Amino acid sequence: MEHRWGMAIDLDRCTGCEACVVACHAENNLPLSDPDQAEKGRAFHWIRVDRYYEGEFPDIRVKYMPVLCQQCDEAPCEPVCPVYATYHNAEGLNVQVYNRCVGTRYCANNCPYSVRFFNWFEPEWPAPLPLQHNPDVAVRPSGVMEKCTFCIQRIQRVKRDAQAENRHVGDGDVQPACVQSCPAEAMTFGDLNDPESKVSRLAGSGRATRLLEDLGTKPKVFYLQRGK
Amino acid sequence: MYLTADFADADSVARAITALRPQGFHADHLEVFSTEPVEIPGGLLDRPSHMSLAAVASASTFFVLAFLFVRYAQYDYPLITGGMPLFSWWADGVIFYEFTMFGSITATFVMFLIESGLSKRRAPAPVLQAGRILLRISCQAGQAAVVTDSLRQAGAASVTELERT
Amino acid sequence: MSATVEIRGDALRSALWRPLNGFSSRYLLALAVTFLVGAWGLGCWGYQIVRGIGVAGIRRPTMWGFYLVNFVFWIGISHAGTLISAILRLTDAGWRKPVTRAAEAITVFALMIGAMFPIIHLGRPWIFYWLFPYPNSRLLWPNFRSPLLWDVTAISTYFSGGVIYLYLPLIPDLAELAQHATGWRRRLYKLLSLGWTGSDRQWHALERAMKLMAGTILAVAVSVHTVVAWDFAMAVAPMWHSTIYGPYFVAGAIFSGIAALVVAMSVIRRALHLEAYLLPVHFENLGKLLLLMSLLWVYFTVAENLTTWYGNGPAEMSVFGERVRGRYAPFFWFMVFCNFVLPFVLLSVKRLRSVTTITISGVAVLIGMWVERFMIVLPSLSRPHLPAATGFYAPTWVEISITASTFAAMIMFYLIFCKLFPIIAIWEYKHVSHG
Repeated sequence: MEHRWGMAIDLDRCTGCEACVVACHAENNLPLSDPDQAEKGRAFHWIRVDRYYEGEFPDIRVKYMPVLCQQCDEAPCEPVCPVYATYHNAEGLNVQVYNRCVGTRYCANNCPYSVRFFNWFEPEWPAPLPLQHNPDVAVRPSGVMEKCTFCIQRIQRVKRDAQAENRHVGDGDVQPACVQSCPAEAMTFGDLNDPESKVSRLAGSGRATRLLEDLGTKPKVFYLQRGK
Repeated sequence: MYLTADFADADSVARAITALRPQGFHADHLEVFSTEPVEIPGGLLDRPSHMSLAAVASASTFFVLAFLFVRYAQYDYPLITGGMPLFSWWADGVIFYEFTMFGSITATFVMFLIESGLSKRRAPAPVLQAGRILLRISCQAGQAAVVTDSLRQAGAASVTELERT
Repeated sequence: MSATVEIRGDALRSALWRPLNGFSSRYLLALAVTFLVGAWGLGCWGYQIVRGIGVAGIRRPTMWGFYLVNFVFWIGISHAGTLISAILRLTDAGWRKPVTRAAEAITVFALMIGAMFPIIHLGRPWIFYWLFPYPNSRLLWPNFRSPLLWDVTAISTYFSGGVIYLYLPLIPDLAELAQHATGWRRRLYKLLSLGWTGSDRQWHALERAMKLMAGTILAVAVSVHTVVAWDFAMAVAPMWHSTIYGPYFVAGAIFSGIAALVVAMSVIRRALHLEAYLLPVHFENLGKLLLLMSLLWVYFTVAENLTTWYGNGPAEMSVFGERVRGRYAPFFWFMVFCNFVLPFVLLSVKRLRSVTTITISGVAVLIGMWVERFMIVLPSLSRPHLPAATGFYAPTWVEISITASTFAAMIMFYLIFCKLFPIIAIWEYKHVSHG
């Protein structure tokens, strides 16, 4: 059976440390931006930690919510791309094809989670950062849309290795950069088609919710939280 | 040869056409020239037109072609987007509609060129005069005198032979 | 320039052919200014292509900005020709005749300008042709399910229809001009008139074709702006996802089209000294139509905003609040003033209706409708479903330059058109007896 990749994020464990954000930057060759550009909304964070504050001091409650591409099964971003630069692959991933993107940015407007980022200029990294680039991940040119890919390069590598070694991909073999680096072990990644996998069990638990579910996007990132 | 008769209004042209009919001249031999569209009363010079039919036929053809093409293209390289079916009338209906209209537009323009005769070589035409209506008759040299007579009786201000330019 | 049109014949022809000859200093100045502004805009676009689209003010989450506003605005203006020519032709309204060619010209030029914007706003415009279906080495087809593809199809169809609709009634006038022109003009008119001789066969074919085209172009025009509306309505962005958008945009397009026509006619009337042919009654009638569309526009606006407010959906209400009470409130109320309050007062009070006030209303509506397009695009993008992604847009000099250059380009195309062709259809005008 085909894999169906999904993720579970335990909001009760998340401390908002943003190690996942840094790891994603390192893994996926994300372009840098300075404070000026960030203020102009030009920063790139394929995974970001949204903070929601409730109440007044001293009874403030803060909720941290890491938001990344939800890889929706009925993604609103997919049908609006005029050139098929984003579509749904057989493993349930919403793939972004950098070569094909002409930059209409309709997909970004149609994403209710605002997880898509656009290359407004040619990306630049001050030396010696280009030495740190991940050779498995393309550097996107100017005018192209990008977003979280569930570290598809790691998925591909694990699948290739498993095939070479004549075995199945085990649960926990694929670890996207964010999942790997979370110190609170709040993130779990795996195959939703495997009922025994940790992510399937978490997704089926009583604490599992999904973001903006009523929009009918069928996201595959499950947020675990004890009550609201 | 071609004769050109110069009239002041559509009624006299109608009289002329009616007078010429028993002499064996019908719509194919006659043509009216004017600087603005003239309605010959009695529909004496109505010519058959297939423009509407052509427009509808072309629109239907373009519709079918668009449908076949889109359906072929969607299945040729099938890519799933947003859980939508590969081919659906809802998602592709607009494309079909526009192509249908485009078919109608193309046919209208082509039929205009054909039915107006602009697409082929024509017989010589008289020089237009603002405010006058000119009637051109194609006749044999021997009939010229009789025809000229009938035209003058119908109210032609002048009847001249049209030079081949 | 040795090519001239010999003025002879009646007052109508001399009035309409005189502007074709020679270049007054005012004309040359206007042409030079519009050309320079247009060229500056093109230069800005070139700069944008080389440097990257980041030189524009667009950002996350407002990924669409001025360029889309201009796109919708100009496609809307292009509905001038359709309304005047097609609807009034089908309803046999005789007063439309001096006005049709000016309107049809607006349609063609506005479409040319509007259709540039989907290319200008692309991140990688040099591969814009990937939106067209053609056999390629990637074996890929474009995505026909995307509203942007619907846009491409609709606008292409409308443009081809609009050009034919402008060209067909031009033929008899061109044939007549060819007889009286010299030099390159004679060659141009002769070529374009296709050898028209004014025979009844040709007239009948022309009238039949115009009747068919009127019906077809009307059907296409309604669909074109509906499809442009659906670029927004098909999205899940709060307040975009509204079923009213299709009819709303069509009504708004006709509204702004009439306003553009009123302004164009007013300028033409003054500049070409056509006061005897573009009569106050024409402006009266267009003014009444403008008032009608203003009422229709306000009806749609109220319907949309009331339903949103009453529905009280959280995502929608944050956008609604931004539009009516927040950051965009000044634009919103300015838009209401320009689109409704001012035209309503000037056009419904009979004593206030004059060519001048009708023109002022037209200018106000043009400004108001541009702001309306802005209000459609930006607030919904500024306040997305997830509030953490909120962000506000500010245009840069690049976008402002390109916007200004499109207005200059429109005027320039019109100036050139008026120098080549008579702006009133002579053969149609004669058909109408004016007392």
